[in-house]
Amino acid sequence: MNLIREFFNSYNWKLAFRDARPQWKSLLLYSSAVIAGVAALVAILSFRSDILLTVDDQSKELLGADLELRSNQPFPEPVIAFIDSIGGSTADAVEFNSMVLFNESGDNRLSQIRAIDGPFPIYGTIESEPAEAARIYREQGSALVEQSAMNQYNISPGDTIRIGNIDVPVAGSLVSVPGEAGAFSLIGPRIYIPKNLLDGSGLLDRGSRVQYKSYFEIQNTEELSSIVEAFRPLSREHRVRTETVESRKEDFEAIVDNLSKFLGLIAFIALLLGGLGVSSAIYVYIKRKTSVVATLRCLGMSSEKILSTFAIQIAALGFFGAAVGTGIGLLLQLYLPTLFTDLLPFDIVQAISFQAIGLGLFTGVLISIVFSLIPLAGINKISPMLTLRKIDFSPLSALSKKTKILTASITLAVLVLIIGFLTESFMVAVVFTAGILFFTFILWTLSGFLMATVKGLRLKSLPYTSRQGMANLFRPNNQTSMLVTTLGMGMLLIGTLYLSQDMLLQRIQLQSGEEMPNLVFYDIQSDQNEGVLQTIRDNDGQIMQNVPIVSMRLASRKGQTVSEIQADTTMEIRNWVLRREYRVTYRDHLTESETILEGEWIPEADGLDSVVPISVAEQIVDDLQVELGDSLSFNVQGIPVQTVIASIREVNFQRPEPNFFVLFPKGVLESAPQFFATTVNAADEDLAINIQRAVVSDFPNISAVDISVALRSVQEFLDKIAMAIQFMALFSIFTGFIVLASSIAISRKQRTKESVLLRTLGANKTQISSIQTTEYALLGLLASLAGLILAVVASWGLAYFYFELAFVPDLVTLFIISILVVLSSVLIGWTGSRHIFKHSPLEILRLETS
Amino acid sequence: MDVAVQSVTHSNNLYNLFFMKNSPILTVTDLTKTFPSGKKLLTVLNSVSFTINEGNSCAIIGPSGSGKTTLLGLCAGLDKPTSGSVKLDHQSISEMSENELTKIRNEKIGFVFQSFQLIPTLTAIENVMVPIELRGVPYKEVENQAKELLKKVGLGDRTHHYPTQLSGGEQQRVGLARAFIHKPDILFADEPTGNLDSETGEQIESLLFDLNKDQGTTLIIVTHDPNLAQKCNRIIELSKGRIKSDTSDVPVVEEAAKLGVD
Repeated sequence: MNLIREFFNSYNWKLAFRDARPQWKSLLLYSSAVIAGVAALVAILSFRSDILLTVDDQSKELLGADLELRSNQPFPEPVIAFIDSIGGSTADAVEFNSMVLFNESGDNRLSQIRAIDGPFPIYGTIESEPAEAARIYREQGSALVEQSAMNQYNISPGDTIRIGNIDVPVAGSLVSVPGEAGAFSLIGPRIYIPKNLLDGSGLLDRGSRVQYKSYFEIQNTEELSSIVEAFRPLSREHRVRTETVESRKEDFEAIVDNLSKFLGLIAFIALLLGGLGVSSAIYVYIKRKTSVVATLRCLGMSSEKILSTFAIQIAALGFFGAAVGTGIGLLLQLYLPTLFTDLLPFDIVQAISFQAIGLGLFTGVLISIVFSLIPLAGINKISPMLTLRKIDFSPLSALSKKTKILTASITLAVLVLIIGFLTESFMVAVVFTAGILFFTFILWTLSGFLMATVKGLRLKSLPYTSRQGMANLFRPNNQTSMLVTTLGMGMLLIGTLYLSQDMLLQRIQLQSGEEMPNLVFYDIQSDQNEGVLQTIRDNDGQIMQNVPIVSMRLASRKGQTVSEIQADTTMEIRNWVLRREYRVTYRDHLTESETILEGEWIPEADGLDSVVPISVAEQIVDDLQVELGDSLSFNVQGIPVQTVIASIREVNFQRPEPNFFVLFPKGVLESAPQFFATTVNAADEDLAINIQRAVVSDFPNISAVDISVALRSVQEFLDKIAMAIQFMALFSIFTGFIVLASSIAISRKQRTKESVLLRTLGANKTQISSIQTTEYALLGLLASLAGLILAVVASWGLAYFYFELAFVPDLVTLFIISILVVLSSVLIGWTGSRHIFKHSPLEILRLETS
Repeated sequence: MDVAVQSVTHSNNLYNLFFMKNSPILTVTDLTKTFPSGKKLLTVLNSVSFTINEGNSCAIIGPSGSGKTTLLGLCAGLDKPTSGSVKLDHQSISEMSENELTKIRNEKIGFVFQSFQLIPTLTAIENVMVPIELRGVPYKEVENQAKELLKKVGLGDRTHHYPTQLSGGEQQRVGLARAFIHKPDILFADEPTGNLDSETGEQIESLLFDLNKDQGTTLIIVTHDPNLAQKCNRIIELSKGRIKSDTSDVPVVEEAAKLGVD
């Protein structure tokens, strides 16, 4: 209580100010460590606020309508009748994937076709180049083609594209669609055509996945709610899903929330490191104030007064650091949208978020205070006797174990509270804090080990300048451990992110290769199958697999119908396994991607009338809550088929070939309506293009996926995500550099004295520069070594336990990163030490007597 | 001690007898202080006892390591004895809590240090005002008093200078002004001229005793300087943690008789 009272004592504020006044420049350095972390946090929080503001502002454009109905089947009569009863402005869309042949270049590409009827989008506009193309394409019976595809395949307005059996002229390029991010095009170029062109195109006659959508304008929210409510029974019965602006908004806000929490956590790491930097700097500061504190005790200033005076200074410093960080964060807010531009479906509306500013300031100040608690607590241990005796007093070692544990616990508790508030999850806060502490501890220990190694390596055979540079790392009041830990943590983050991204891509790429298919054809109808296979062979393609696929739906599980299961609230079976359309194949053997885990694989059955022994993939066993021997019945295009689970398989879904949740044996589905998928290995890229071209031109309804193109798209997508994450992780590196710069500034006097002394003893400028270079290069090297060693270990762990890959780190890149850190460290060191050569050796005398 | 010193000290004792108060302000009883040194215990002070009356000036002398600084620290309540007691103005300070001691220091004790111990970030006048401002007295109310004191010590035109802008002698003058501003009952000085040249040292000594005479403060000085010691009423000499000699042991009445004083 006394302490709190003293915090508001006007004399203490006066003394805090007076004491800070002549040394304000150097004091500001003590708080600079939190700047980068606060900047990152404020940037992310402001960005989140901007997105939510934009979503709110443009919510209707997110959906393009007030209500959307969608189904995988054409709407049945009752649904159509319902739609007609709604009235008002409506638009329809039919969406599916299809190969598109770009006639002029002869190239083809699997594309997302959207056939539109009516004024879509009802809210917002499709942007096109030329601008009028979006308005007139439906009237003209022409197409809008994704801008990236237009560029890639050299298509201009007026050229034609072939979709199915029809040639469609291109009205213009599709620049943006309301409610869809640019990254959507990575899946496949989007092409908008008028819906009436579908008649006679042959595309829907034989088809794979088609989505039928209707859009409605219903301004009155009450009316909208009652329509959705009224439609619910029909929705369940006919499997027609509804989506409103509100539900789309909620989904989107949830994604944004999770993304910003994740990025916020990465930003928070920088803030934590900043806190460590502040702690170290304040420790040095308090040590330097030992004499002053002892004198004040002699003059009758109570320990609470003294403590609160310095606490006031630290709070003010924290506020300053947080304020600068907040300012920078607000500037970064302007830049962040460019990082996410392809991932967001709108242009962001930006505004100042006072909540973000307030949180940034508050967190920055709190972190500064909380991380200063331990050195501050040491003030109480400064005896007034130190005015009479000269002892090298350490605030930390003077504290009792109980005090250290108590202050550390308070620090941790505050951290957990802040993270819990930011992430809205106490559990996440605890796990994250524990994780960070763990890594910080490991890093600290590793840096201690590396430093001990350096200390031991000061060989007499090394030149004096090298030995002196090494020794400088261990000068009194050095912050070497702190610097290695903060810089090292930044390196750990960046290194792990980079190596993980690399591994993720490697994992995908390893699934392709000489023995793997690089082309997949699907939607091949039964009567087309032989022809397709012949075309592939004629074009020197090696057929890896030709797989029949039968569509069916789950009718019952263990004797209970799907509807009964869904109505039973005690059963927690995931909806997706109950409602999905199962694409099933049949054969008498297992493939390389399959391994039986339980039961026995039965290769052949006795026809539809028997209970068919099937094999299910382990991935759906838990969700469907089934085990060996359980019965499932399927509706195969109107015909019921009874089955029993005879085996459970492990399936490697990462391999680029058709893999199935449910596998039938031979002898049951041969006569069922089916289509085929074929995987092909082409010797090179040109051959792959030729094969693709030949198949699609002969059979336009067939879809083809070029694995290497798909991989490139995945890589591009991952790159975008990674860039955003790495950008946030960079703040940790910046914090490390800031802590380094402030440490150099803090030890300025000491280093000046050392170098002037050396010059007095005869050292020249080159020798002194060499000593400095050794010192800072070694510091950078220790930090990058510590961080990257741990990054490699963490990545190895990920590779071994999660990705199940042999880990081969990219040593060249790691080496380059280390060099960059070392060079940056040397540059910062030189910049902070330029003044040294301004002092003449005579000043050593003045320094001695002052 | 030589005869000349003894006679000066005896004169001072007579002075005390007739002109100063006789009530004790500092009573030290069986004071002992030990420090752990490796596995052994080092006894720095061993059962030291003495009493100092109000208004007296007392020099504590002795070779390096004799326990002078330790004794000073214990008398001033800066440290706690291993055994024994210290009474300051009839209050036992040995058992006081740190907060109680703080209060005593602020109200009754002044300090002058060998290394001046000015707060480097405060100006001269701010340094002087600290003891009074700590009591909550507003700046304006104490400013003039501080200015007067600085003027007295010859720094009237240097009030807004920082310690780094002052010479050693000037810093010690500020130290003196600070020590006296709150009119302490007792002033402890640890080698007040130790870091100064002889000429400057004499000036400081002069100021110290002048200010002391003005306010009637009891003065306890730890010093190596025999000239400074002679200026005090009493000299206690320490050796190896014990009192080797104490000029107050010479009976005052005998001396009065010798001098023909009734």
